[in-house]
Amino acid sequence: MAAVPSTVEASQEFLISELPEQSSLGQDAWRRLKRNRLAVVGLVIIAIFFVTALISIVWTPYPTWRQALGTTYAGPSLLHPLGLDDYGRDILSRVMGGAAIALGVGVGASFLASLTGIILGMLAGFFKGKVDALISLTINIFYGVPDLLVALILVVLIGRGLFNIILAIALTGWLGMARLVRGQTLSIREREYVEAARTIGTPNLMILSRHILPNALGPIIVQATYLVPAAIIFEAFLSLLGLGIPPPSPSWGRMASEGYKALQIAPHIVLAPCAALSLTVLAFNWLGDGLRDAIDPRMRR
Amino acid sequence: MRAVDGISFDVDRGEIVGVVGESGSGKTMTALSLLRLVPEPGKITGRILYGENDVLEMTDDEIREFRGNEVAMIFQDPMTSMNPVLRVGFQIEEAMAAHRRFTGQQARDRVVPMLQRVRIPAAKERIKDFPHQFSGGMRQRAMIAMGVSNEPSLLIADEPTTALDVTVQASIIELLRDISRELRAAVILITHNMALVASLCNRVIVMYAGRIVEQGPTRAIFKNPQHPYTWSLLRSMPRMDEVGKERLVSIRGVPPDLGKLPTGCKFHPRCRFKVDRCLTEEPPLAEVDPEQLARCWVLMKNVPNPEMQS
Amino acid sequence: MQQSAVTPATDPTIKSPLLRVENVVKHFPTGGAFGRAVVHAVDDVSLAIQQGETLGLVGESGCGKSTLGRVIVQLQPATSGHIYFKDTDLTKLRGEKLRRMRQQVQMIFQDPYASLNPRMTVGDIVSEPLRNFRVARGRKAEQKVQEVMRVVGLNPGFVNRYPHEFSGGQRQRIGIARALVLNPTFMVADEPVSALDVSIQAQIVNLMEDLQTQFNLTYLFIAHELAVVRHISDRIAVMYLGKIVEIGPSDAIRDRPLHPYTKVLESSVPVPDPDLEAARKPILLKGEIPSPVNPPPACRFHTRCPIAQKICSEVEPPLEMKESGRFAACHFAGQL
Repeated sequence: MAAVPSTVEASQEFLISELPEQSSLGQDAWRRLKRNRLAVVGLVIIAIFFVTALISIVWTPYPTWRQALGTTYAGPSLLHPLGLDDYGRDILSRVMGGAAIALGVGVGASFLASLTGIILGMLAGFFKGKVDALISLTINIFYGVPDLLVALILVVLIGRGLFNIILAIALTGWLGMARLVRGQTLSIREREYVEAARTIGTPNLMILSRHILPNALGPIIVQATYLVPAAIIFEAFLSLLGLGIPPPSPSWGRMASEGYKALQIAPHIVLAPCAALSLTVLAFNWLGDGLRDAIDPRMRR
Repeated sequence: MRAVDGISFDVDRGEIVGVVGESGSGKTMTALSLLRLVPEPGKITGRILYGENDVLEMTDDEIREFRGNEVAMIFQDPMTSMNPVLRVGFQIEEAMAAHRRFTGQQARDRVVPMLQRVRIPAAKERIKDFPHQFSGGMRQRAMIAMGVSNEPSLLIADEPTTALDVTVQASIIELLRDISRELRAAVILITHNMALVASLCNRVIVMYAGRIVEQGPTRAIFKNPQHPYTWSLLRSMPRMDEVGKERLVSIRGVPPDLGKLPTGCKFHPRCRFKVDRCLTEEPPLAEVDPEQLARCWVLMKNVPNPEMQS
Repeated sequence: MQQSAVTPATDPTIKSPLLRVENVVKHFPTGGAFGRAVVHAVDDVSLAIQQGETLGLVGESGCGKSTLGRVIVQLQPATSGHIYFKDTDLTKLRGEKLRRMRQQVQMIFQDPYASLNPRMTVGDIVSEPLRNFRVARGRKAEQKVQEVMRVVGLNPGFVNRYPHEFSGGQRQRIGIARALVLNPTFMVADEPVSALDVSIQAQIVNLMEDLQTQFNLTYLFIAHELAVVRHISDRIAVMYLGKIVEIGPSDAIRDRPLHPYTKVLESSVPVPDPDLEAARKPILLKGEIPSPVNPPPACRFHTRCPIAQKICSEVEPPLEMKESGRFAACHFAGQL
């Protein structure tokens, strides 16, 4: 291109010298989120659980596995604010340790499921045709099989370690994400700015990462947030069936399953992990709702 | 924020008045005000006289009566103002029946003649169609039929042809011309298209930033525009009849944000003919010729050789 | 019929064609009741565009003009036919070769709101073509972006702003800057001013004319407004239902249209002059535009044509040269 022209009218005359400063789309969403009380409460609860989980890795009042700290089934006391369980273990310590497991499983499974779902969903939506047929078929087959069955088979096959549980949950959780991302990709790939990207020679990989993914990110974040509590509940459910993370790890689900046998004489054993579980799940759902409304106000019902 | 500020005009029976302006000029808001249809939390002040009655003073019953029987409104996109799951004939019948002027049977009998009046071919068969089975032009015709079925005395058409192709636009314009003559109604045509106004209107109101900047008889406005905005707008459009390739006069910058209007004349930041006074003092809408008003301190008749300056 | 060998693609008055479209067809399968229906969006279109000129492509919605534009820049593959850019057949290019060709053939889109990625800054949008072809990096790329922004009338200080902060006209300038940054030789502009306010349209039209002179660009200017197309174009092609019905120099087409459809179009456009308007009488078309799924046989315009005869529904009139540089597809050319 030649040097900056002086003859061209457009070059000087229409320079618009002022442009009001406006907030970016992300800032807008953050402002809306902050105005949503439930979402903020959820965020605070999640933050507290995260801090607790981090602390529990290096310190808990008592070791989570130490038995016979006092009388079994003892109710709350000064030494043991949440009481002791059927083996005489400190419930507060175990709830704290459970937070680490719950969040680890929740965030881990959500991350893994999202990653799988995003990659497969984008491939299906972008390339359409045979790629889409194959991926959609896989999704539909998986949908046809109950989640629990898939997880059960996998756990039986590969064992019950923390990572295996995460894998099992992610294996059922990616379907929804893949469907969502596929739909988003199908619609975004028809937008004019994607066509424009093709006319300026942007390679497919860059179109996916630079144009499609950032514009689908809103719903993806919301979906990933909802996946966390779903995974936590799923893990608790597996533990309840005795297929969760093996003892003596203090999973909330298995604490509840162990405690419910003594529900009549010592309800506090069940109460503490269940309350923690409910609160966490609720907090993530509130945050998810808040994010959904904040990211796209039009999506609200 | 004032979307519309200090608008005064009148329309007579049998007259077609064009309100022209760009998006955000306040032309649609003006029309909605006439029917008291300004969206919440908008407020209207002033007086809107229909005959002897002030629209702003009417009770809820009276305003419903007024909107239904005296006024018809035609919008840009007829699809959004028709119910997609009801047959076209039924909707026209309902529009008539809703306003007591006709009995149910009379309304039913009038549907086909109404559609014929707006020149929908095979009207008898088409009344059984749903809106999506109509083309854009046919929908607009049906919309006009619905609007004029109550013999209104005021017809407000808001960008009635903007969504239509030019050959269809031509036929809708012809239809509006005929209908207004038959009804002896007053017609307000809201549009961004100066050429349409030249074709259809007796008088023109030019709006900018919520104000009337110029108004007068069509011929005067087109032959002898006095406001620099009107003058530039007319020269910014390519014309079918232009000889050779004259460079278009372009109006620099963009229309102002109604939230933060400039001081003085609202057009001065984009005006090529401004003087110092324009920056501080807003000019009144003053008579420049009999019947022609303009809101400008300079006026184009005082500018020697405006083409050279632009 | 002795001149029937000459098509608009081999028009002898086009001395140095930059682009030649030969017998291009674009059909879309449509999900009709039995899944067999085909939309005849573009049917056997031939044309040539002279180096440095603007060819206007005009027609009403659904006539296939936008589809033709998209097929020419290879956003969609042609069903059949050839598109020669210089000497390369674009329809034969695939993958990396096609991507390379995009440096020379660019597009300006209709909707300045939809054609810019809302998550990218103006600087990223305008520099993306440079990165795609590794033309310039770092400081050099920045300079290039600022230069192009200045050329299209945007303040280069706004590189870090997002599209939603700009008005429609300014966004269209961003789109033009993106198309311009690789120094293309040919641009398809698909309704570039239709979405803009009247006072802004002139800015963009003038800008496009200036850029053409300065960078020796060749345009295919697609629009439905005949007045705008006539203003900017050297020659005009008129489309109806997937076919070009007339092609020729723009003033000749306006002053003395050969095809009845062109005449109808021309008579339908109002002029901003009350005196001329009082005298103008538009020729109103009967009926509705037929469906491109099932276009009428022979001449596609015969169902609505004011001067149609029996032959028009039996024999398709070829798009043939009627005068030097003027083609029309009509048995009764110039008789309306």
